[in-house]
Amino acid sequence: MRKLLDTLGHYIDVTLCNIKLALMVIIEYPANIAGWLISNPIQFIVGFATIKFVVVQFGEINGWNYGQLAFLYGLSVISHAVSMMFFVQGWFMGYSVIEGDFDRYLTRPLGVLYQFFFTTFNIFGITDLIPGIVVFIYGCIETGFRFTFGNAVGIIVMIIGAAFIRGGLYIMLGSTSFWTKSANDFGQYTQEIFDKSTMYPISMYPESLQFILTYLIPIGWVSFYPVSGLMGIETTVGIGSGNVWITFAVGIVVMLAAGLLFKIGLRRYESAGN
Amino acid sequence: MSYLYVMKTQLIRSFTYRFDVYGNIIMQTIIMVTTAFFWRALFGSSTFSNGMTADSMLTYTIISSAMSVLFTTGVERRIQRSVELGSISVEMIHPINVFGVYFAEDMGTIAALLFQNLLPIIIIGSLVIKVPVIASVSAIPMFAASLVLSMGINWLLAAIFGMWAFTAVQMDALIQVKKHLLRLLSGSIIPIWFFPDSLRTVLEALPFVYIYQLPLDIYVGSTLTEDILRRMVIQVIWFAVLGTVFFMLQKRVLGKVMVQGG
Repeated sequence: MRKLLDTLGHYIDVTLCNIKLALMVIIEYPANIAGWLISNPIQFIVGFATIKFVVVQFGEINGWNYGQLAFLYGLSVISHAVSMMFFVQGWFMGYSVIEGDFDRYLTRPLGVLYQFFFTTFNIFGITDLIPGIVVFIYGCIETGFRFTFGNAVGIIVMIIGAAFIRGGLYIMLGSTSFWTKSANDFGQYTQEIFDKSTMYPISMYPESLQFILTYLIPIGWVSFYPVSGLMGIETTVGIGSGNVWITFAVGIVVMLAAGLLFKIGLRRYESAGN
Repeated sequence: MSYLYVMKTQLIRSFTYRFDVYGNIIMQTIIMVTTAFFWRALFGSSTFSNGMTADSMLTYTIISSAMSVLFTTGVERRIQRSVELGSISVEMIHPINVFGVYFAEDMGTIAALLFQNLLPIIIIGSLVIKVPVIASVSAIPMFAASLVLSMGINWLLAAIFGMWAFTAVQMDALIQVKKHLLRLLSGSIIPIWFFPDSLRTVLEALPFVYIYQLPLDIYVGSTLTEDILRRMVIQVIWFAVLGTVFFMLQKRVLGKVMVQGG
């Protein structure tokens, strides 16, 4: 037990050091910080504006009003921001595979997957949080969402679970590079698919697509099901307000599956030039 | 001839990874199908004020997805990388125009994507969603002309924007800003018919809507021929203006190149 705690403490120390380093690196380029501070919020303002234009024309989207959609979108963006901070490297795993970056990780006495994600901590993900929180607060006000202790815990649990689902899927897609030896990142496509399936209620899609998004690629659990639970909106799947816990559980399962796929893939890693 | 060789090299390079080809097709198909279902659910059986129905929106979605392939540009990142690494100096020594090479590379990529993405998207879209039939046969030449101009405007905007790298060096964030604004303002993700009147009027004076919206309007027949001709004139004007700006800036930025502190 003591050994386990020591190891955990060591990992936490290394993580804090890496976060500090990441902060120092970005301070080196102040203009770049300003650029990301503008560009990331714009991405979500564009998304929010799209919802607004659609709602103005059609009134509601599958029974969801503008306030509820803002709530849904806000939480989706927040979980995206968290996943960007910790797991965005999954998008670029292909480059590390073909350039032999894993050589360094394999010779160090820390988990390879841990090093891959935490030695290049993406501090810029915080810039995504700003629009997410703003839209979420707007959604809370519009829907009259009550912030009880239970709801607050539920939201935190949901965000962690949703970030795990996103991160797990990034790792799975990135891990395919071990087999394909390709540096192509599907990050932008992944982002677009996540946008389409997390900013609108998936109940508007045909049942076959809903099935895929619920059980096969569980993106429905990123925002739709847990937010429906929090809003008291009935869904065909789930246990109402307990959906946030299902999101958390699904997140853990997806992350474990992703870790396993990464581990299997790493066995096929051939290093650069061999 | 040299540019054709660059184009051919890029074309061959694009076919290197089979998984990338399948991956891109699968991803784009998912995006296209979810977008189509989205519009189908929203429209239901209703008709929009300009006569557009769910059926027209499905055509809009398939053609918009296919067009996005033609608007693939690598020029911004190519300039940024060359300036950052300093390889721009070597490229400038070559007896061909640097921007000509970038253009040829992008054309090579697009030529490969025609088979890798555009054709599969149209085929899958026709099988899974609907056959995207053009509004009228007489619209075909107008659509083709408008599409060529929109490709030109898109590339010129990307190249002009990319020239910023000669000053800014690191411009990943700026590229993202441009990408997101272009997505919203060009009509690629949502037609500008849905925008408020005041915003639509402003947008019609800017070049962005002449990238996606105009060719798509011609294809789905959402507007009258007189209106299309008027907007095509504006499209030609924007193409000429951006072309002039591009050639003027090209000389200036290449004169400002600074490599390894020299």
